[in-house]
Amino acid sequence: MGNEDHALIRTVLAGEKDAYGLLVARHSQSVFRVAFRITENEADAEEIVQEAFLRGYRKLESFDARASFRTWIYRIAVNCALDVLNKRKHQAAVPIAEEHDGEQGTVQPADGAAGPDRLLLSQEIEARRQTAMEKLTPTERLAFVLRHMEDRSTEEIATALGIAPNSAKQAVFRAVQKLRQSLAPLWVKS
Amino acid sequence: MKHLTEEELIEHYYSEDFYKAESEAHLQACKHCAQAYEELGKLLSNVRASEPPMRGAEYGAQVWQSIQGSLRPYQSKTKRSYFRWPQLGYAAACLLFLAGAFLAGRIWEHAHTQPSLATTPQQARERVVLFVLDNHLDRSERLLVQLNHAGAEEEKVDLPLQAEARQLLTDNRLYRQSIAPANDPLLAAALDHLERVLLEVANSPDELSSADIARIEKEMNTQGLLFQIRVLRTKVSGQETNAQATRKGATI
Repeated sequence: MGNEDHALIRTVLAGEKDAYGLLVARHSQSVFRVAFRITENEADAEEIVQEAFLRGYRKLESFDARASFRTWIYRIAVNCALDVLNKRKHQAAVPIAEEHDGEQGTVQPADGAAGPDRLLLSQEIEARRQTAMEKLTPTERLAFVLRHMEDRSTEEIATALGIAPNSAKQAVFRAVQKLRQSLAPLWVKS
Repeated sequence: MKHLTEEELIEHYYSEDFYKAESEAHLQACKHCAQAYEELGKLLSNVRASEPPMRGAEYGAQVWQSIQGSLRPYQSKTKRSYFRWPQLGYAAACLLFLAGAFLAGRIWEHAHTQPSLATTPQQARERVVLFVLDNHLDRSERLLVQLNHAGAEEEKVDLPLQAEARQLLTDNRLYRQSIAPANDPLLAAALDHLERVLLEVANSPDELSSADIARIEKEMNTQGLLFQIRVLRTKVSGQETNAQATRKGATI
């Protein structure tokens, strides 16, 4: 796969633009997946995919032949996602009605098999999770998604975000702490 | 017993702690930390992202269709490589600089020699005058020499002096008028004197006798005139040489 990618990149740089279409076809699914996990929005994820491949094409000359195109385009997509999150952070404000008060929101989880109570709890957890995720800074959210959902190492997160490994680790810690503050009441009385 | 911090618990959860075995042993021994770790595990295990919606096999082609219009093809490396040789670029820059300096020099020289070229018609006229005047004086000198010798040696002079004198007389009038603006009194006086001698010779009877010539020599002081002509020739020749040197210097 890697050698085929490199051969396609050489072809693109030799003037065959259409060869890049094969790279897009090969990696667009995985780029879309990570973009969606970060943004949790289908339209945003599609926009990120397009922007990532556009930026990738324009920077293709700077691609290091020793690297993996998959990792390279992944990093570009993460940066595009960071831009989208930053833009969203500035544009949107969290509605007051959706804020969850810790004590009021305490839920008694039910034991046993999935029933109406369990379903209700899942919905409550999901609503709180989404709200808690929105409260994270773009860097914290990205670091957490890459660590928790994409199972990326601290080094990989740091490289993708262009920050120091220790900063990446701290971003994950802060994200977990904030999620814990928002979601812990659900398990207080469990 | 020192408990594990929250950061250490999170590191342990993601298996990124340096002392994994020690942390594991501590969690086995410490109920407080074990409970905190269990709560963290429950929390994080329930935090799952929404599954991305499925994309069809043609999704990549759709993405490509949406972006390919805004992408320009790269130039092939063989074409671009010309611009990547720094040595070639430096050499080209040096050649351009040298060519520019040479052209600038030529333009500067041309601009600075323009005034001298602007006076060329006047100088050319002066050079022509000096040349023909020198020639005229040369012919006049020869005529005077012949006249002096003829007067000293023979009874009858059978030389075409009169025809030559008439020709020189016509020329002399023209030169005398031409040099009038130059305000050269010596030359003007000499040409005036010469004209009178030539007029006398030209208007003499067909065959000049030695006596006639002797009279002319005496009355017209042709010996003195010959000396004057020789001095003027030297002067005119010098001026002509200077004019030629100036012309060559201007065209270099």
